[in-house]
Amino acid sequence: MSFLRLLARNRLALLGLVVMAVVVVLALVTPLLPLADPDVTNTADRFERPFGAAGLLGTDHLGRDLLSRLMHGTRLSLAVGFAAALIAATLGAAIGIVAGYYGGRIDNVIMRGVDMLMAFPYILLALAIVAALGPGLMNALIAVAAVNIPFFARNIRGVTVSIANREFVDAARLSGMGNARIIVTEVLPNVIPVIVIAMSTTVGWMILETAGLSFLGLGSQPPQADLGSMLGEARSALISNPHTSIVPGAMILVIVMAINLLGDGVRDALDPRLKSGALSRPMPTTLVRRETPPPMPAADDAVLTIAGLKTEFHVKDRVYRAVGGVDLSLKPGECLGLIGESGSGKSVTALSVMGLVASPPGVITGGAVRFDGQDLIGAPYEGLRRMRGDRVAYIFQDPLSTLHPLYTVGEQLVEAVRAHHPTPRAEARAHAIELLRAVRIPNAESRIDNYPHELSGGMRQRIGIAMALANEPEVIIADEPTTALDVTVQAQILSLLDDLRRERGLAILFITHDFGVVAQLCDRVAVMYAGRIVEEGPADAILTAPAHPYTARLMACVPELGGGRRHLAAIPGLPPAVDRLPDGCAFAERCDKAQAACRQGDIPLAAHGPGRSVRCIAPEPAPDTTTEAAE
Amino acid sequence: MAGYIFKRLLSAIPVLLGISVIVFLIMAMIPGDPATAILGSYATPENVEKLNRDLGLDKPLVQRYFIWLGNMLQGDFGRSFSLNRPVLDEVVERFGATLVLAGTAFVLCSLLGVAAGVVSAARQYGAADKAITFFVLLGISIPSFFLGMMMILIFAVNLRWFPVSGMWPIYGARDLSALVSHLALPALALATVATGVIARLSRSAMLEVLRQDFIRTARAKGVREGAVVWRHALRAAMVGIIPVLGIQAGFVLSGAVYIEMVFQWPGVGRMLVDAILKRDILLVQGGVVFVAACYVMFNIAVDVAQSLLDPRIRT
Repeated sequence: MSFLRLLARNRLALLGLVVMAVVVVLALVTPLLPLADPDVTNTADRFERPFGAAGLLGTDHLGRDLLSRLMHGTRLSLAVGFAAALIAATLGAAIGIVAGYYGGRIDNVIMRGVDMLMAFPYILLALAIVAALGPGLMNALIAVAAVNIPFFARNIRGVTVSIANREFVDAARLSGMGNARIIVTEVLPNVIPVIVIAMSTTVGWMILETAGLSFLGLGSQPPQADLGSMLGEARSALISNPHTSIVPGAMILVIVMAINLLGDGVRDALDPRLKSGALSRPMPTTLVRRETPPPMPAADDAVLTIAGLKTEFHVKDRVYRAVGGVDLSLKPGECLGLIGESGSGKSVTALSVMGLVASPPGVITGGAVRFDGQDLIGAPYEGLRRMRGDRVAYIFQDPLSTLHPLYTVGEQLVEAVRAHHPTPRAEARAHAIELLRAVRIPNAESRIDNYPHELSGGMRQRIGIAMALANEPEVIIADEPTTALDVTVQAQILSLLDDLRRERGLAILFITHDFGVVAQLCDRVAVMYAGRIVEEGPADAILTAPAHPYTARLMACVPELGGGRRHLAAIPGLPPAVDRLPDGCAFAERCDKAQAACRQGDIPLAAHGPGRSVRCIAPEPAPDTTTEAAE
Repeated sequence: MAGYIFKRLLSAIPVLLGISVIVFLIMAMIPGDPATAILGSYATPENVEKLNRDLGLDKPLVQRYFIWLGNMLQGDFGRSFSLNRPVLDEVVERFGATLVLAGTAFVLCSLLGVAAGVVSAARQYGAADKAITFFVLLGISIPSFFLGMMMILIFAVNLRWFPVSGMWPIYGARDLSALVSHLALPALALATVATGVIARLSRSAMLEVLRQDFIRTARAKGVREGAVVWRHALRAAMVGIIPVLGIQAGFVLSGAVYIEMVFQWPGVGRMLVDAILKRDILLVQGGVVFVAACYVMFNIAVDVAQSLLDPRIRT
C-alpha cells in the first residue's frame, strides 16, 4: 500500500481528497437535510442577498432558495458526471480490450473508427449528438459519455496489447481456456487499475462538460437544475445580481479543482520517475557544499590540478560517494589516462572539473581544482562558463545523444565558436569548415550542413572532437570518446587525437576502461576503483608491471590478440556500492591477497618506485620484476 | 517537402469521409420523422411529404448518404429553414467570427502556455515555478463560461475597461481598435484552460529535455544558460509540444461555443446552439461538418510545422 502512503504524503492531493469527500457526503445526505424545496418559487422574495433574511445564500430570480438549489444542483452534477465517466470507461474499456486482445483486422477497424472520432473537435461532437437526441440532461449525459469513449478505448487498448502478449495469458490459452474467460479472468483484473486512474483524471472534465451543455440550455431543463443550468439561468441577471452566478460557478470550480489535485496526486504517486527525483532538471553548474575550502594545491608546472576532490550524489536520504578524494595533475602537452570499471567514478571526476555533474542529485563536497591560478570548484557561474569550451573542452561518449539532434553540425560548431569569440557568422562558418578538415572529415563544405543523424558514428565522434577544438583549448577532457566505435574507427580517432595533441600542445585527460587505448595514447595512467585512485604512474611502467592487485586483475581481463592460450580471468564479485563503502581497502572483498589489515583504517596512496604510487599495503614488488605480473 | 504535404493531404481524405459518415449517422439517429422535426408539429402533410422528397428521405440510408455527400462536394449544404438562407453562406459568415476569436485565443494560449512552461521548468521548485503551477491549476479547473462571466463583471461592468459583449460596437466605426477591445476578454477567457494545459505539458517536456546529454554538451561548450534553455532545450521540447498545440486548437475551436454564448459573439458555436434549440437539423449538420473539416486541415498544417522543425521526420 505504498501507493496510498505516497498519495497521503502529497499534501495538495490530500486536500483535494478531503474537499471531494466533504462535497460527496454533503451531496449524498442532501435529501435528509432540513432544506427548503429547491423548486418552490416565491417571486416576491426574488434576488435576496446572501447572509440575509432569506437563507444563507439568498434566493435566485424566481425567489427559490439558493442554498437548497446549490446542494441539489451539486448532487445532480456529481451524479451525471460520475455516470458519464462510468459509462465512457465501461464502453471504452470494452472496446479497447476487444481491439487489444484480438488484434489484427478487428483492432485495425476499431482503432480507425476511434481515430475518426478523435479527429473531431471534442465539444462539437457532443453538440451534434445532443442535436440529434434533443436537449435534456439524459441526452447530455449520453453525449458527454460518447465523446469520451475513444479516449478510454485508446488507453485501454494499449495496456491490453501488452498484457495479451504476456506469458500468463499464453499459459491460459494453452490450457484451453476460451477467449471470453481469458479476458474476464486474466486481462480484466490487470486492466482495471488503469481504468480507475483514467477515470480519476477525467471525471472532473466530464462534470465540467455536462455542466457546460446545461449552461448552453442543452442539458437539464427547468425546473430541475444542475450547476451548469443554474449558472446559465443566472447569466441574464449577472450584472444586477452577481451572487446567483457566483454561487454555482464557484462550486464547479471547487469540485473540479479538488478532482484535479487528487488526479495529479494519483498520477505522481504512480509515476516511478518522480519517486527517485530523476525528473529534476540539472542546474547550470554542480552544487558545491564544501565544509572548509581546502588549501589550493601548490603552483607547479601542471596546467590542471585536482586535489582531494569529493563528489557525492544525494538521492533521498542516501549518499553515494562517487568520488572520494581524488588527486590528479596534468602537465601541458601530456596525456593522462584515467582508467577503471564503469561506476568507478572516473566520469564524475572529469565532469566535476567544470561543474558539469548533474545537480540535483550531484554535490561536490570537498577538494579543489586549480586551473590558471584559481579554484574552479565553487567559482561563480559566469567565470566557469567563460572557461567551458574555450580553455577546457570536453569530448563525450556517444555523440548521437550528446549532439543536438535538431541543429546541423555547422550550426553547433559555429555556436561553439561564437559562445566565446564574437565572430561574424560567415567567418565562423569558414572556421567550422576548417575544423571539420582538421578532424579529417571528407567533403567538409557539404557535411557541415548535415544533421547528426545523417552521419556515421565515427563521423559524429569527429564532430565532437572538432567542437572541442573550436577555441583551441589548453585542456581537453575526453570521456570515453571511442567506446561506441568499432575498432578501425577507434584507431583512426586515437591517432587523430594524438596528432592534434602533438601539433597543438594540448593536455588531454583521457577517460577509458580500455588498456589498449592507454597503451596507444597515454603518457601516464591513473587507475580508479570505487571513487579513489588506487595506482598511478607512467603508462608503460604500469602496463608492464602493475603494482596494485586490482590493476593486475583488470589487465588480466583483457584478451590479447596473438597472446596464445592465456588464462582470461574475470574479477569475481562486484565493486562495492558507493553508498556503503567498507572500511579500509574497497577492493579487499575481491582480492585474493587480502589480509586482515586490508580491512582496517585508511590506506594511503604511497610512493612506489620512480614517479609511481599505489594504494595497497602489499603491492607487487618494485618494478623490473615483470614476469609474474600478468598472471 | 511538397511531397510530404501532398501525402498528408491525401491521407486527410479518408478522415474527412469518416467525419461525414459519423455526422450523417448521428443525424440519422433523430427519433421520429426528420421532416416533421424540421418543419414543426404544425406542418401540413403535403409539406412534410415534399420536404421528405427534397431531402431524399424516402430513399435508403446508403443512397441518401451519397446524395448528401455529392451535394456537399458541390457546395450545396442545403437550406436553413429557421434563417431561410443557404446553410453554407451562414456557416462561412459565422465561422469567420469564430476564427477571429479562436485564432486569437490559440495564439495567446500557445505563447503564454509555452513561455510559462519554459520558465517553470527552468526555475523548477523556485518561486516562479510555484506561482505558475498554482495559476495553471486554477486555469485548468475554472469553467471557461464562469471565468468569462466573472471577467465581464470585473473588467467590463465595474472597471469599464472593455465592452460587455459583442464583436463590434453598435454605433461607431468597425475598426481594428474596436475589434481588439471587444476581443480582449473573450479571447483571454477562451485561452485560459488551454494555456494551463500547454504550460503543464511544456514544463514536463522541458524537464525531460533538460536532462538530456546534448544539454550537458551545450553547457560544456560554454553556451549561456539563457540560450541553453530557450535555444537548445525549447527547440527539442517543441517536438513534443507541437502535437499538443494541435489538440488544444481543437478544444479552443469547439470551446468557443461557451464564450460566444457568454459574450454574445456572433460565431458558429452560438449559431449551432440556436440551431439545436430550433431543431434546424440541416444547419447543425452543415456547421459541424464544416468546422470539423477545417480542423482536419489545421491538423495537417500542424504536421507540416512539425516536419519543418524536426528534420528526422522528413526523411
